[in-house]
Amino acid sequence: MRSEVAALVLIVGACTWAFRYFPLRARLHDLAAGSVLGRFLAATGPAAIATLFAAEVMPYLQVAVTRQLPLLTGIAAVLAAFAWRRSVVVATLAGSVTFGVISALVAS
Amino acid sequence: MSMKGGIGHGLHRGTCQSVDKGAGHPLAARMSDAVKMSFGQGLAASVPLILGYAPIAFSFGVAATRSGLTGWEAVALSLIMYSGAAQFVAIALLAAGAPLVVAAATLIGMALRHVLYGPSLLRHAGADGTTRHAWAWAFGLTDEVFAAALGELARGRRFSEPFMFGLGLGAYGAWLSGTVAGAWAGGGALAAWPAVNAGLGFMLPSLFLALLLSMFTRAQVPVIVVAGGVTVAVTVLVSGTAGLLAGMLAGAVAGVWSAGRQRDAV
Repeated sequence: MRSEVAALVLIVGACTWAFRYFPLRARLHDLAAGSVLGRFLAATGPAAIATLFAAEVMPYLQVAVTRQLPLLTGIAAVLAAFAWRRSVVVATLAGSVTFGVISALVAS
Repeated sequence: MSMKGGIGHGLHRGTCQSVDKGAGHPLAARMSDAVKMSFGQGLAASVPLILGYAPIAFSFGVAATRSGLTGWEAVALSLIMYSGAAQFVAIALLAAGAPLVVAAATLIGMALRHVLYGPSLLRHAGADGTTRHAWAWAFGLTDEVFAAALGELARGRRFSEPFMFGLGLGAYGAWLSGTVAGAWAGGGALAAWPAVNAGLGFMLPSLFLALLLSMFTRAQVPVIVVAGGVTVAVTVLVSGTAGLLAGMLAGAVAGVWSAGRQRDAV
């Protein structure tokens, strides 16, 4: 294993574990929800997910509009499946399967 | 895991809000009569996570080896980092040759949201919220494990550390075995299956959109809009890595501003 990969894995792994564990012991749930730090931390999750979604979708938008049918149907499938089942699992699989099937149909 | 992601029970906002109502709520009385959840119940509750994690972990293993990582490096990421979305970003950063400091800062910033999960879980667990073995089960407190545990509590079940071990072990096992299978299959494994390849490639956008929906509230609209807009703008103008960092920071700052305005309005 390359040293830079090992270092990255160990540093990020240790920090991720620390972020998951120490707030449990530090009784951070007693932190005032209205404090600036509390509000910042509360917004970090949705901000991270929105950022990742935007970053993931951007490459799909760089093709011609006429070739974006798999993207549009995939997103529609996620929205519909989540509205139906309220399940992240079902919605994710529905979007992925729909994207794959429509991609195959468009390519054929 | 933004996948950290990965996936789990859709977190039903209504039921979780009901838990927040405290000891005076009927759910509190129901919880006091219920038996604490066991290790086996945790494993059973992890089944949806296993179904969701396995294909994503497989696609991670394939993507990692396709981008030049060895099989051992791919497995090490899942074994030690165990943070889905961050792992995909890690292989992109490594493939792009990002400096260690930049890569680590990016991934640590992505992991920061996990700070909230433990306190939130304990608040919902109430008096059952013990942390004696939390040093171990907290390792598996991903986005989806957190959401699944919160979902069980919202249904009136009682928190226990064995339950968290069972839930976390099922999810971790699926993530690891999926990664091993994907890394073993190799980067060219899906070349003959373009539709499957395309579907797996769209797994992450689907996951992030579904996670966004699961935590969506009207108050978070400014956070989501600002984070998405800044990500696109900075990615186009500067780079993808800068776009990720700028998007997250701008979205979180928008959240501070938005929550402050709402509090002032009250």
